[in-house]
Amino acid sequence: MIEVEALTKRYGRTTAVDGLTFAARPGTVTGFLGPNGAGKSTTMRVVVGLERPTSGRATVDGLPYAELAAPLHAVGVMLDARSVHPGRSAYRHLRALAQTHGIGRARVREVLELTGLESAAGRRAGTFSLGMGQRLGIAGALLGDPGTLILDEPVNGLDPDGVLWIRRLVRELAAEGRTVLLSSHLMHELALCADRVVIIGRGRLLADASVAEIVARSERAGTVRVRTSEPEPLLRALLERGAHVTPQEPGVLQVRGATVGDVGAAARRCGVTVLELSTEAGSLEDAYLRLTADAVEYRTSDAAGAPAGGAR
Amino acid sequence: MSAVTAAAPRAVRGAPARRGVTLARVLAAEWTKLTSLRSTAWLAFGTVAATAATAYGLGLFVRAEDGRSGTGVVTSGSVLAQVGFLVLGVLVGTAEHSTGTARTTFTAVPRRLPVLAGQALVTAAAALGTAGAALGASVLATSGVRSSVPLALDLHDPGTVRALAGFLLLHTGVALLGVGLGSLLRRPADALVTGMLLVVVLDPLLATNPGRVTDTLRALLPGAGGRLVQDDAALAALDAATHGPQLGTWGGGVVLAGWVVVALAAAAYRLRRHDL
Repeated sequence: MIEVEALTKRYGRTTAVDGLTFAARPGTVTGFLGPNGAGKSTTMRVVVGLERPTSGRATVDGLPYAELAAPLHAVGVMLDARSVHPGRSAYRHLRALAQTHGIGRARVREVLELTGLESAAGRRAGTFSLGMGQRLGIAGALLGDPGTLILDEPVNGLDPDGVLWIRRLVRELAAEGRTVLLSSHLMHELALCADRVVIIGRGRLLADASVAEIVARSERAGTVRVRTSEPEPLLRALLERGAHVTPQEPGVLQVRGATVGDVGAAARRCGVTVLELSTEAGSLEDAYLRLTADAVEYRTSDAAGAPAGGAR
Repeated sequence: MSAVTAAAPRAVRGAPARRGVTLARVLAAEWTKLTSLRSTAWLAFGTVAATAATAYGLGLFVRAEDGRSGTGVVTSGSVLAQVGFLVLGVLVGTAEHSTGTARTTFTAVPRRLPVLAGQALVTAAAALGTAGAALGASVLATSGVRSSVPLALDLHDPGTVRALAGFLLLHTGVALLGVGLGSLLRRPADALVTGMLLVVVLDPLLATNPGRVTDTLRALLPGAGGRLVQDDAALAALDAATHGPQLGTWGGGVVLAGWVVVALAAAAYRLRRHDL
């Protein structure tokens, strides 16, 4: 359980995180999203005690991170794959980390096996590819078998195999009742493995909701896409019905304010042949871009009535 | 997409009774870190070799009428050796910050100060061992010249024993100063340049212009620790020539120890109070 309450972090006159409040709960994969410089990494660094908040607080299982007696057993952290001395072997890096908590060699070998690094364990970390570095970082996070995991961009640089592995791993960890906080730029990835999404922009909370709720806020969500050989008569018929129609590629109309049934019936009445007819699902990416665009520009002249930035 | 909210009990494999972070455990981790870098072994080997080679080389020019002692010849590689020990300490102090390992280390030990204590202790142990090896190698390397001149190295003489022990103390102190400066300044280049100025460069530079101010400064710089390896006669000569405070037998060592304490305390303050 990670709780962030009214967290503010300033560096001189720059405000990196501004009154941020959210929680990541046990048994849930919480996705953490935001444009570059939105304050994601700063927030994660404050949560794990590397930086002090200017005001507000961040706790793990109800305690400030620095007060945890055995941090590795409480929280597994991977902030950056390059958090290893390049001259040290993967095994010795993990061994030293394990020693701080009296964790034995057997567990070190276990996480090396779990992350598929056993054959590279004796190699110096400086020779690792980005993907192997990520695996080493994740091995370090799993070392203490923690109840909470904080992973910053875990799929960065991983091969498709690795991406699948991470996706399964975080789902399994959450299914075991653990808290997983996961940042990523890959929307598609988050849509597949996160239950909830926390979106921030300019250090402020823009949205904190389930993936389904966020996707429903996407502009495309619930619109109808129709392809026909003769779009003109259908366009007129739909406009007469009061629907909001946007012509897209030749022969394709995007319809808002009508169901697939309405559009099908209208097509039949004006006698055009429908080649394709579907409801658009919307995507996390759309919703995200929309929310963060609002944050960047403060106010848009969009008339679609989407929730404004800052909504919870 | 369904969330399992029940907090499942977790069995920890390979973990002992959960006591978490202790100083002894951090110490073991820091020892693993130090010994798992090839650079540490190369640095120790290089320091020992350079120290003994310098003692041997300078020994070739020693004549009986110079009035040098056996101790002076054996410890003549000391000035160069200081560089090696300083680099050792600086590397330990800065490695966390210059490589990003700090993110891993200090999330494991969020109280932070045990890490600095561990670094200081393992560096002191490594420096003491290396200094012992360098001393032994220097004794061997100068055995030829000492028997031909001849120069006595009398281990029953308290002054000789003190100077040889001083060799170990000086280099352990310099390595610890390196840890303090490294952890405080965080960049290897900054820490190394500062350390070199304080320990090696400023003292002979100020000595070119003797006077009350420069001699007092010399007595207050960590370079004064170099007196630890001087034999009694050399110390008496130094005290007679100075226009500043007379440091006596142990004064130089006390000054160096003071610098070590101040540097480590400043590093501890920055580590504890500031962001990483």
